[in-house]
Amino acid sequence: MIITKKKDRKKLLESMGRYNRFFLLGCSECATLCGTGGQPEIEELKTELEAAGKTVTGGFVAKTGCQALGTKVELKQFKEALDQTDCVIVMSCGAGTQSAVEIFPEKAVYPSNDSLFLGNMTRLQMFDERCSLCGECVLDLTGGVCPVTACPKGILNGPCGGTKDGHCEISAEIPCAWVRIYDRMNKLGRLEEFGQTTLAAKDWSASIKPRKLNVREQKDKKSGGEEKKK
Amino acid sequence: MSSSFREALESGKFVVTAEAGPPKGTDISTLLHDLDLMKGKVDAINVTDNQSAVMRICSLAICKIVLDKGMEPILQMTCRDRNRIGLQSDLLGADVLGIKNVLCMTGDHVLAGDHKGAKPVYDVESVQLLKVVDGLNTGKDMSGNELKGSTHFFQGAVVTPEATPPEPQMLKFQKKVAAGARFFQTQAIYDIDKFKEFMAFARKFPVKVLAGLVILKSAGMANFLNANVPGIRVPQELIDEIRGAEKGKALETGMNIAARHIRRLKEEKICDGVHIMAIGMEDKVPVIMEKAGLL
Repeated sequence: MIITKKKDRKKLLESMGRYNRFFLLGCSECATLCGTGGQPEIEELKTELEAAGKTVTGGFVAKTGCQALGTKVELKQFKEALDQTDCVIVMSCGAGTQSAVEIFPEKAVYPSNDSLFLGNMTRLQMFDERCSLCGECVLDLTGGVCPVTACPKGILNGPCGGTKDGHCEISAEIPCAWVRIYDRMNKLGRLEEFGQTTLAAKDWSASIKPRKLNVREQKDKKSGGEEKKK
Repeated sequence: MSSSFREALESGKFVVTAEAGPPKGTDISTLLHDLDLMKGKVDAINVTDNQSAVMRICSLAICKIVLDKGMEPILQMTCRDRNRIGLQSDLLGADVLGIKNVLCMTGDHVLAGDHKGAKPVYDVESVQLLKVVDGLNTGKDMSGNELKGSTHFFQGAVVTPEATPPEPQMLKFQKKVAAGARFFQTQAIYDIDKFKEFMAFARKFPVKVLAGLVILKSAGMANFLNANVPGIRVPQELIDEIRGAEKGKALETGMNIAARHIRRLKEEKICDGVHIMAIGMEDKVPVIMEKAGLL
Protein backbone atom coordinates (compact mmCIF):
# COMPACT_ATOMS: atom_id res chain seq x y z
CA MET A 1 0.00 0.00 0.00
CA ILE A 2 0.99 3.66 -0.33
CA ILE A 3 2.32 4.98 2.96
CA THR A 4 1.42 8.54 3.84
CA LYS A 5 2.04 10.83 6.77
CA LYS A 6 0.24 13.96 7.82
CA LYS A 7 1.79 17.23 6.76
CA ASP A 8 2.70 19.66 9.50
CA ARG A 9 -0.69 21.14 10.42
CA LYS A 10 0.52 24.71 10.93
CA LYS A 11 2.18 24.77 7.51
CA LEU A 12 -0.86 23.15 5.94
CA LEU A 13 -3.19 25.82 7.31
CA GLU A 14 -0.80 28.55 6.21
CA SER A 15 -0.56 27.15 2.69
CA MET A 16 -4.38 27.19 2.40
CA GLY A 17 -4.74 30.66 3.87
CA ARG A 18 -6.39 32.15 0.79
CA TYR A 19 -9.31 29.66 0.89
CA ASN A 20 -12.21 29.59 3.36
CA ARG A 21 -14.65 26.82 2.48
CA PHE A 22 -13.33 23.28 2.40
CA PHE A 23 -14.48 19.80 1.50
CA LEU A 24 -12.43 16.96 3.04
CA LEU A 25 -11.88 13.85 0.95
CA GLY A 26 -10.39 10.76 2.61
CA CYS A 27 -9.80 7.25 1.28
CA SER A 28 -10.85 3.91 2.73
CA GLU A 29 -7.77 2.05 1.55
CA CYS A 30 -4.13 2.90 2.35
CA ALA A 31 -4.76 6.30 3.95
CA THR A 32 -7.28 4.82 6.39
CA LEU A 33 -4.77 2.13 7.42
CA CYS A 34 -2.07 4.77 7.77
CA GLY A 35 -4.32 6.85 9.99
CA THR A 36 -4.10 9.81 7.62
CA GLY A 37 -7.37 9.77 5.69
CA GLY A 38 -10.12 7.84 7.47
CA GLN A 39 -13.28 9.16 9.16
CA PRO A 40 -11.50 10.04 12.47
CA GLU A 41 -8.87 12.08 10.63
CA ILE A 42 -11.57 13.90 8.66
CA GLU A 43 -13.30 14.83 11.95
CA GLU A 44 -9.99 15.92 13.44
CA LEU A 45 -9.06 18.18 10.51
CA LYS A 46 -12.61 19.59 10.43
CA THR A 47 -12.27 20.63 14.08
CA GLU A 48 -8.88 22.20 13.43
CA LEU A 49 -10.10 24.11 10.38
CA GLU A 50 -13.16 25.37 12.23
CA ALA A 51 -10.99 26.45 15.14
CA ALA A 52 -8.99 28.48 12.61
CA GLY A 53 -12.19 30.22 11.52
CA LYS A 54 -12.72 28.23 8.33
CA THR A 55 -15.87 26.52 7.10
CA VAL A 56 -16.05 22.83 6.26
CA THR A 57 -18.91 22.20 3.84
CA GLY A 58 -18.60 18.43 3.99
CA GLY A 59 -16.39 15.39 4.14
CA PHE A 60 -16.30 11.87 2.72
CA VAL A 61 -14.13 8.78 2.77
CA ALA A 62 -13.93 7.59 -0.83
CA LYS A 63 -13.70 3.86 -1.38
CA THR A 64 -10.59 4.04 -3.57
CA GLY A 65 -9.31 7.57 -3.95
CA CYS A 66 -6.87 6.78 -6.74
CA GLN A 67 -9.74 5.55 -8.89
CA ALA A 68 -11.11 8.79 -10.31
CA LEU A 69 -14.19 7.43 -12.07
CA GLY A 70 -15.54 5.56 -9.06
CA THR A 71 -14.77 8.45 -6.72
CA LYS A 72 -16.57 10.88 -9.02
CA VAL A 73 -19.71 8.71 -8.91
CA GLU A 74 -19.50 8.44 -5.11
CA LEU A 75 -19.19 12.22 -4.77
CA LYS A 76 -22.40 12.96 -6.71
CA GLN A 77 -24.39 12.82 -3.45
CA PHE A 78 -22.30 15.77 -2.11
CA LYS A 79 -23.01 18.09 -5.04
CA GLU A 80 -24.37 20.87 -2.86
CA ALA A 81 -21.52 20.80 -0.36
CA LEU A 82 -18.99 20.65 -3.17
CA ASP A 83 -20.57 23.59 -5.00
CA GLN A 84 -20.08 25.71 -1.88
CA THR A 85 -16.42 24.67 -1.55
CA ASP A 86 -13.50 26.68 -2.83
CA CYS A 87 -10.88 24.06 -1.95
CA VAL A 88 -10.93 20.27 -1.71
CA ILE A 89 -8.44 18.87 0.80
CA VAL A 90 -7.42 15.37 -0.17
CA MET A 91 -6.44 13.21 2.79
CA SER A 92 -4.91 10.28 0.91
CA CYS A 93 -1.78 10.01 -1.26
CA GLY A 94 -0.42 12.02 -4.18
CA ALA A 95 -2.31 9.73 -6.53
CA GLY A 96 -5.59 10.37 -4.71
CA THR A 97 -4.92 14.10 -4.78
CA GLN A 98 -4.44 14.02 -8.53
CA SER A 99 -7.62 11.97 -9.02
CA ALA A 100 -9.39 14.86 -7.28
CA VAL A 101 -7.70 17.34 -9.61
CA GLU A 102 -9.19 15.33 -12.48
CA ILE A 103 -12.63 15.33 -10.84
CA PHE A 104 -12.53 19.05 -9.96
CA PRO A 105 -10.78 20.76 -12.86
CA GLU A 106 -12.00 24.21 -11.75
CA LYS A 107 -11.33 23.92 -8.01
CA ALA A 108 -8.27 24.19 -5.84
CA VAL A 109 -7.14 20.76 -4.57
CA TYR A 110 -4.65 20.53 -1.67
CA PRO A 111 -2.95 17.46 -0.18
CA SER A 112 -3.03 17.09 3.60
CA ASN A 113 -0.43 14.30 3.53
CA ASP A 114 3.06 13.58 2.25
CA SER A 115 3.30 10.34 0.25
CA LEU A 116 6.28 8.29 1.35
CA PHE A 117 6.65 4.82 -0.13
CA LEU A 118 5.10 1.54 -1.16
CA GLY A 119 4.92 -0.22 2.17
CA ASN A 120 4.27 -3.50 3.88
CA MET A 121 2.23 -3.27 7.07
CA THR A 122 4.23 -5.04 9.78
CA ARG A 123 1.90 -4.19 12.64
CA LEU A 124 -1.04 -1.85 13.02
CA GLN A 125 0.12 1.53 11.63
CA MET A 126 3.73 0.34 11.28
CA PHE A 127 5.16 0.10 7.79
CA ASP A 128 8.33 -1.05 6.04
CA GLU A 129 9.51 -0.30 2.54
CA ARG A 130 10.32 -3.52 0.73
CA CYS A 131 9.69 -2.80 -2.94
CA SER A 132 10.92 0.17 -4.99
CA LEU A 133 8.75 -0.51 -8.05
CA CYS A 134 11.94 -0.59 -10.15
CA GLY A 135 10.20 -2.26 -13.07
CA GLU A 136 12.62 -5.19 -13.30
CA CYS A 137 12.15 -7.61 -10.38
CA VAL A 138 15.22 -9.50 -9.15
CA LEU A 139 13.61 -11.28 -6.18
CA ASP A 140 13.96 -14.64 -7.96
CA LEU A 141 17.74 -14.21 -7.84
CA THR A 142 18.05 -12.80 -4.34
CA GLY A 143 16.16 -15.26 -2.20
CA GLY A 144 13.08 -13.06 -2.11
CA VAL A 145 14.78 -10.12 -0.37
CA CYS A 146 15.00 -6.97 -2.50
CA PRO A 147 18.51 -5.43 -2.49
CA VAL A 148 17.34 -2.49 -4.59
CA THR A 149 15.18 -1.44 -1.64
CA ALA A 150 16.65 -3.06 1.48
CA CYS A 151 20.22 -1.89 0.76
CA PRO A 152 20.56 1.93 0.95
CA LYS A 153 23.07 1.69 -1.89
CA GLY A 154 20.97 -0.75 -3.90
CA ILE A 155 23.99 -3.02 -4.31
CA LEU A 156 23.22 -6.06 -6.45
CA ASN A 157 26.21 -8.28 -5.76
CA GLY A 158 26.88 -8.65 -2.06
CA PRO A 159 27.50 -6.57 1.03
CA CYS A 160 29.70 -3.48 1.05
CA GLY A 161 32.50 -3.07 3.57
CA GLY A 162 30.12 -1.29 5.90
CA THR A 163 28.40 -4.36 7.35
CA LYS A 164 28.80 -4.48 11.09
CA ASP A 165 27.42 -7.43 13.04
CA GLY A 166 25.02 -7.98 10.16
CA HIS A 167 23.80 -4.40 10.18
CA CYS A 168 24.11 -1.46 7.82
CA GLU A 169 26.78 1.23 8.05
CA ILE A 170 24.20 3.98 7.85
CA SER A 171 22.10 2.71 10.75
CA ALA A 172 22.41 -0.12 13.23
CA GLU A 173 18.63 -0.40 12.95
CA ILE A 174 18.84 -1.57 9.34
CA PRO A 175 19.76 -5.24 8.92
CA CYS A 176 22.24 -5.66 6.04
CA ALA A 177 20.23 -6.70 2.98
CA TRP A 178 23.05 -8.91 1.74
CA VAL A 179 23.47 -10.71 5.04
CA ARG A 180 19.73 -11.43 4.90
CA ILE A 181 20.03 -12.59 1.30
CA TYR A 182 23.03 -14.76 2.20
CA ASP A 183 21.07 -16.38 5.04
CA ARG A 184 18.07 -17.01 2.81
CA MET A 185 20.16 -18.47 0.00
CA ASN A 186 21.95 -20.62 2.57
CA LYS A 187 18.63 -21.96 3.88
CA LEU A 188 17.46 -22.63 0.33
CA GLY A 189 20.69 -24.50 -0.43
CA ARG A 190 21.52 -21.99 -3.16
CA LEU A 191 24.75 -20.47 -1.82
CA GLU A 192 26.75 -21.64 -4.78
CA GLU A 193 24.48 -19.68 -7.07
CA PHE A 194 24.85 -16.63 -4.81
CA GLY A 195 28.62 -16.77 -5.20
CA GLN A 196 28.68 -17.42 -8.90
CA THR A 197 25.95 -15.16 -10.23
CA THR A 198 26.96 -11.58 -10.92
CA LEU A 199 23.91 -9.45 -11.45
CA ALA A 200 24.34 -6.99 -14.30
CA ALA A 201 23.67 -3.30 -13.80
CA LYS A 202 19.95 -2.63 -13.82
CA ASP A 203 18.12 -1.30 -16.82
CA TRP A 204 16.73 1.84 -15.28
CA SER A 205 14.80 2.63 -18.44
CA ALA A 206 12.16 0.34 -16.92
CA SER A 207 11.47 3.02 -14.33
CA ILE A 208 11.59 6.22 -16.34
CA LYS A 209 8.74 8.49 -15.32
CA PRO A 210 5.91 8.95 -15.98
CA ARG A 211 5.07 5.29 -16.44
CA LYS A 212 1.83 4.09 -18.00
CA LEU A 213 0.31 0.65 -18.40
CA ASN A 214 -2.69 -0.38 -20.43
CA VAL A 215 -3.52 -4.03 -19.91
CA ARG A 216 -6.94 -3.51 -21.43
CA GLU A 217 -5.61 -2.89 -24.92
CA GLN A 218 -3.85 -6.25 -24.93
CA LYS A 219 -6.98 -8.03 -23.66
CA ASP A 220 -9.14 -6.25 -26.26
CA LYS A 221 -6.81 -7.37 -29.01
CA LYS A 222 -6.81 -10.93 -27.69
CA SER A 223 -10.60 -11.22 -27.43
CA GLY A 224 -10.94 -9.51 -30.83
CA GLY A 225 -8.75 -12.21 -32.30
CA GLU A 226 -10.84 -14.96 -30.74
CA GLU A 227 -14.00 -13.49 -32.15
CA LYS A 228 -12.52 -13.53 -35.60
CA LYS A 229 -11.69 -17.21 -35.23
CA LYS A 230 -15.30 -17.93 -34.37
CA MET B 1 53.88 2.41 -20.96
CA SER B 2 52.32 0.03 -18.47
CA SER B 3 51.67 0.67 -14.82
CA SER B 4 54.84 0.81 -12.72
CA PHE B 5 52.68 -0.22 -9.75
CA ARG B 6 51.65 -3.33 -11.64
CA GLU B 7 55.24 -4.05 -12.59
CA ALA B 8 56.34 -3.71 -8.98
CA LEU B 9 53.61 -6.14 -7.86
CA GLU B 10 54.41 -8.61 -10.61
CA SER B 11 58.14 -8.46 -9.86
CA GLY B 12 57.41 -9.95 -6.46
CA LYS B 13 58.63 -6.85 -4.64
CA PHE B 14 56.92 -6.02 -1.33
CA VAL B 15 54.91 -3.06 -2.55
CA VAL B 16 53.94 0.04 -0.56
CA THR B 17 51.09 2.34 -1.47
CA ALA B 18 49.94 5.33 0.53
CA GLU B 19 46.87 7.49 0.46
CA ALA B 20 46.53 11.13 -0.48
CA GLY B 21 43.23 12.73 0.45
CA PRO B 22 42.37 15.71 -1.76
CA PRO B 23 41.59 18.80 0.33
CA LYS B 24 38.31 20.63 0.61
CA GLY B 25 39.14 23.82 -1.23
CA THR B 26 41.71 24.80 -3.80
CA ASP B 27 44.73 25.19 -1.53
CA ILE B 28 46.79 22.10 -2.31
CA SER B 29 50.06 23.24 -0.71
CA THR B 30 49.98 20.62 2.08
CA LEU B 31 49.14 17.88 -0.39
CA LEU B 32 52.05 18.88 -2.64
CA HIS B 33 54.39 18.93 0.35
CA ASP B 34 53.25 15.45 1.46
CA LEU B 35 53.68 14.09 -2.06
CA ASP B 36 57.25 15.42 -2.11
CA LEU B 37 57.99 13.60 1.15
CA MET B 38 56.66 10.30 -0.23
CA LYS B 39 58.18 10.60 -3.72
CA GLY B 40 60.66 7.84 -4.53
CA LYS B 41 59.61 5.90 -1.43
CA VAL B 42 56.14 4.53 -2.11
CA ASP B 43 55.24 2.61 -5.25
CA ALA B 44 51.93 4.34 -5.81
CA ILE B 45 49.60 6.90 -4.31
CA ASN B 46 45.89 6.22 -3.92
CA VAL B 47 43.87 9.36 -4.48
CA THR B 48 40.58 9.10 -2.63
CA ASP B 49 37.24 9.95 -4.23
CA ASN B 50 35.34 12.32 -1.96
CA GLN B 51 36.17 10.03 0.95
CA SER B 52 33.50 9.53 3.61
CA ALA B 53 31.16 11.27 1.15
CA VAL B 54 32.69 14.62 2.11
CA MET B 55 32.92 16.90 -0.93
CA ARG B 56 36.51 17.71 -1.93
CA ILE B 57 38.69 18.14 -5.04
CA CYS B 58 38.00 15.32 -7.48
CA SER B 59 40.27 12.31 -7.53
CA LEU B 60 40.98 12.67 -11.26
CA ALA B 61 42.51 16.15 -10.94
CA ILE B 62 44.76 15.15 -8.04
CA CYS B 63 45.83 11.97 -9.88
CA LYS B 64 47.04 14.23 -12.71
CA ILE B 65 48.99 16.29 -10.20
CA VAL B 66 50.53 13.08 -8.79
CA LEU B 67 51.52 12.10 -12.34
CA ASP B 68 53.05 15.51 -12.98
CA LYS B 69 55.18 14.97 -9.86
CA GLY B 70 56.55 11.85 -11.55
CA MET B 71 54.68 9.54 -9.19
CA GLU B 72 52.24 6.71 -9.87
CA PRO B 73 48.61 7.40 -8.98
CA ILE B 74 45.82 4.93 -8.24
CA LEU B 75 42.51 6.54 -9.14
CA GLN B 76 39.89 5.66 -6.55
CA MET B 77 36.47 5.61 -8.16
CA THR B 78 33.22 5.31 -6.29
CA CYS B 79 29.75 4.80 -7.74
CA ARG B 80 28.06 7.20 -5.33
CA ASP B 81 28.22 10.39 -7.37
CA ARG B 82 28.20 9.44 -11.04
CA ASN B 83 25.98 7.30 -13.22
CA ARG B 84 27.38 4.88 -15.81
CA ILE B 85 27.83 7.65 -18.35
CA GLY B 86 29.83 9.79 -15.94
CA LEU B 87 31.95 6.89 -14.69
CA GLN B 88 32.90 5.67 -18.15
CA SER B 89 33.56 9.18 -19.37
CA ASP B 90 35.89 9.86 -16.42
CA LEU B 91 37.65 6.53 -17.00
CA LEU B 92 38.33 7.42 -20.64
CA GLY B 93 39.57 10.81 -19.47
CA ALA B 94 41.83 9.19 -16.86
CA ASP B 95 43.35 6.96 -19.51
CA VAL B 96 44.27 9.82 -21.84
CA LEU B 97 45.83 11.68 -18.90
CA GLY B 98 48.10 8.67 -18.39
CA ILE B 99 46.47 7.24 -15.26
CA LYS B 100 47.07 3.49 -15.28
CA ASN B 101 45.51 2.20 -12.06
CA VAL B 102 41.95 2.35 -10.87
CA LEU B 103 40.44 1.14 -7.61
CA CYS B 104 36.73 0.36 -7.97
CA MET B 105 34.48 0.91 -4.98
CA THR B 106 30.79 1.37 -4.32
CA GLY B 107 31.51 4.31 -1.99
CA ASP B 108 30.41 5.49 1.44
CA HIS B 109 26.79 6.54 1.58
CA VAL B 110 25.97 10.24 1.27
CA LEU B 111 24.56 10.09 4.81
CA ALA B 112 28.15 9.62 6.07
CA GLY B 113 29.23 12.92 4.56
CA ASP B 114 28.64 16.66 4.58
CA HIS B 115 25.92 16.86 1.91
CA LYS B 116 23.32 14.59 3.45
CA GLY B 117 20.54 15.87 1.18
CA ALA B 118 22.42 14.77 -1.97
CA LYS B 119 20.85 12.17 -4.23
CA PRO B 120 22.93 8.98 -3.99
CA VAL B 121 23.52 7.58 -7.49
CA TYR B 122 24.70 3.93 -7.27
CA ASP B 123 23.63 3.33 -10.87
CA VAL B 124 26.26 0.57 -10.81
CA GLU B 125 28.28 -0.82 -7.88
CA SER B 126 31.82 -2.08 -7.31
CA VAL B 127 31.49 -5.51 -8.96
CA GLN B 128 29.75 -4.03 -11.97
CA LEU B 129 32.28 -1.17 -12.16
CA LEU B 130 35.11 -3.72 -12.34
CA LYS B 131 33.32 -5.27 -15.32
CA VAL B 132 32.96 -1.86 -16.90
CA VAL B 133 36.73 -1.25 -16.60
CA ASP B 134 37.38 -4.68 -18.07
CA GLY B 135 35.08 -3.80 -20.96
CA LEU B 136 36.77 -0.45 -21.61
CA ASN B 137 40.14 -2.23 -21.55
CA THR B 138 38.92 -4.51 -24.32
CA GLY B 139 37.47 -1.67 -26.36
CA LYS B 140 33.78 -1.80 -25.47
CA ASP B 141 31.58 0.49 -23.44
CA MET B 142 28.84 -0.74 -21.13
CA SER B 143 26.28 -0.75 -23.93
CA GLY B 144 28.59 -2.83 -26.12
CA ASN B 145 29.55 0.08 -28.36
CA GLU B 146 32.99 -0.07 -29.95
CA LEU B 147 35.51 2.45 -28.57
CA LYS B 148 37.93 4.33 -30.78
CA GLY B 149 40.92 3.40 -28.65
CA SER B 150 40.58 1.29 -25.53
CA THR B 151 41.80 1.99 -21.99
CA HIS B 152 44.82 0.40 -20.34
CA PHE B 153 43.86 0.07 -16.71
CA PHE B 154 45.26 -2.17 -14.02
CA GLN B 155 42.11 -2.46 -11.94
CA GLY B 156 41.70 -3.28 -8.30
CA ALA B 157 39.11 -3.50 -5.59
CA VAL B 158 38.75 -3.42 -1.83
CA VAL B 159 37.88 -6.10 0.69
CA THR B 160 37.12 -6.02 4.39
CA PRO B 161 38.77 -9.10 5.96
CA GLU B 162 37.22 -8.36 9.37
CA ALA B 163 33.64 -7.90 8.13
CA THR B 164 30.99 -9.42 10.38
CA PRO B 165 29.71 -11.85 9.29
CA PRO B 166 32.67 -12.72 7.00
CA GLU B 167 31.05 -15.27 4.65
CA PRO B 168 29.02 -12.90 2.42
CA GLN B 169 32.06 -10.59 2.20
CA MET B 170 34.25 -13.48 1.01
CA LEU B 171 31.71 -14.43 -1.66
CA LYS B 172 31.78 -10.84 -2.82
CA PHE B 173 35.57 -10.98 -2.94
CA GLN B 174 35.22 -13.93 -5.32
CA LYS B 175 32.77 -11.99 -7.45
CA LYS B 176 35.24 -9.12 -7.66
CA VAL B 177 37.97 -11.50 -8.79
CA ALA B 178 35.64 -12.95 -11.41
CA ALA B 179 34.74 -9.40 -12.53
CA GLY B 180 38.37 -8.66 -13.30
CA ALA B 181 39.99 -7.31 -10.12
CA ARG B 182 43.76 -7.74 -10.37
CA PHE B 183 44.72 -6.40 -6.99
CA PHE B 184 43.04 -5.78 -3.64
CA GLN B 185 43.69 -3.17 -0.98
CA THR B 186 42.09 -4.15 2.29
CA GLN B 187 40.27 -2.22 4.97
CA ALA B 188 42.59 -1.53 7.91
CA ILE B 189 43.73 -4.68 9.68
CA TYR B 190 45.36 -4.89 13.12
CA ASP B 191 45.24 -8.59 13.94
CA ILE B 192 47.94 -10.24 11.81
CA ASP B 193 47.06 -13.81 12.85
CA LYS B 194 43.47 -13.23 11.80
CA PHE B 195 44.67 -11.60 8.57
CA LYS B 196 46.75 -14.71 7.83
CA GLU B 197 43.53 -16.73 7.86
CA PHE B 198 42.02 -14.34 5.31
CA MET B 199 45.16 -14.59 3.17
CA ALA B 200 45.00 -18.39 3.22
CA PHE B 201 41.65 -17.94 1.47
CA ALA B 202 42.72 -15.06 -0.80
CA ARG B 203 45.83 -16.94 -2.00
CA LYS B 204 43.56 -19.36 -3.86
CA PHE B 205 42.92 -16.60 -6.38
CA PRO B 206 45.25 -15.02 -8.95
CA VAL B 207 45.25 -11.56 -7.36
CA LYS B 208 47.72 -9.41 -5.44
CA VAL B 209 46.75 -8.28 -1.96
CA LEU B 210 47.96 -5.20 -0.10
CA ALA B 211 47.14 -5.11 3.60
CA GLY B 212 45.52 -1.86 4.72
CA LEU B 213 47.12 -0.09 7.67
CA VAL B 214 45.77 2.91 9.53
CA ILE B 215 48.21 4.51 11.97
CA LEU B 216 46.85 4.65 15.52
CA LYS B 217 47.44 8.06 17.09
CA SER B 218 46.04 7.24 20.50
CA ALA B 219 44.09 4.70 22.51
CA GLY B 220 41.08 6.97 22.07
CA MET B 221 41.36 6.72 18.31
CA ALA B 222 41.55 2.92 18.52
CA ASN B 223 38.41 2.84 20.64
CA PHE B 224 36.71 5.20 18.22
CA LEU B 225 37.57 2.94 15.27
CA ASN B 226 36.24 -0.11 17.11
CA ALA B 227 33.00 1.62 17.99
CA ASN B 228 32.32 3.49 14.77
CA VAL B 229 34.06 2.04 11.74
CA PRO B 230 32.52 -1.18 10.43
CA GLY B 231 35.09 -3.80 9.51
CA ILE B 232 37.86 -2.40 11.72
CA ARG B 233 38.79 -4.24 14.92
CA VAL B 234 41.74 -3.09 16.98
CA PRO B 235 42.67 -5.87 19.46
CA GLN B 236 42.69 -4.88 23.12
CA GLU B 237 46.40 -5.67 23.55
CA LEU B 238 47.31 -2.98 21.00
CA ILE B 239 45.07 -0.46 22.76
CA ASP B 240 46.79 -1.38 26.05
CA GLU B 241 50.19 -1.01 24.42
CA ILE B 242 49.40 2.55 23.35
CA ARG B 243 47.77 3.39 26.67
CA GLY B 244 50.86 2.11 28.45
CA ALA B 245 53.19 4.33 26.45
CA GLU B 246 55.02 7.22 28.12
CA LYS B 247 53.26 10.58 28.04
CA GLY B 248 53.49 12.13 24.56
CA LYS B 249 54.60 8.86 22.99
CA ALA B 250 51.19 7.50 21.88
CA LEU B 251 51.68 8.41 18.22
CA GLU B 252 55.19 6.98 18.20
CA THR B 253 53.86 3.75 19.70
CA GLY B 254 51.17 3.68 17.01
CA MET B 255 53.82 4.12 14.34
CA ASN B 256 55.93 1.39 15.91
CA ILE B 257 52.95 -0.96 15.81
CA ALA B 258 52.41 -0.20 12.10
CA ALA B 259 56.13 -0.74 11.38
CA ARG B 260 56.14 -4.00 13.34
CA HIS B 261 53.12 -5.24 11.38
CA ILE B 262 54.74 -4.30 8.07
CA ARG B 263 57.91 -6.18 9.02
CA ARG B 264 55.96 -9.29 9.89
CA LEU B 265 53.75 -9.14 6.79
CA LYS B 266 56.88 -8.85 4.65
CA GLU B 267 59.12 -11.35 6.45
CA GLU B 268 56.48 -14.06 6.63
CA LYS B 269 55.42 -13.26 3.03
CA ILE B 270 51.82 -13.03 4.23
CA CYS B 271 50.71 -10.65 1.47
CA ASP B 272 52.11 -8.70 -1.48
CA GLY B 273 52.48 -5.32 0.15
CA VAL B 274 50.86 -2.74 2.35
CA HIS B 275 48.57 0.22 1.82
CA ILE B 276 49.24 2.89 4.43
CA MET B 277 46.31 5.17 5.19
CA ALA B 278 47.84 7.97 7.24
CA ILE B 279 44.65 10.11 7.30
CA GLY B 280 46.19 13.56 7.65
CA MET B 281 49.64 12.34 8.75
CA GLU B 282 51.05 11.60 5.32
CA ASP B 283 54.37 13.09 6.42
CA LYS B 284 54.72 10.11 8.78
CA VAL B 285 54.60 7.54 5.96
CA PRO B 286 58.38 7.68 5.24
CA VAL B 287 59.08 7.49 9.00
CA ILE B 288 57.05 4.30 9.31
CA MET B 289 58.67 2.84 6.22
CA GLU B 290 62.07 3.53 7.71
CA LYS B 291 61.09 1.96 11.02
CA ALA B 292 59.85 -1.09 9.06
CA GLY B 293 63.20 -1.39 7.30
CA LEU B 294 61.78 -0.60 3.88
CA LEU B 295 63.99 2.46 3.21
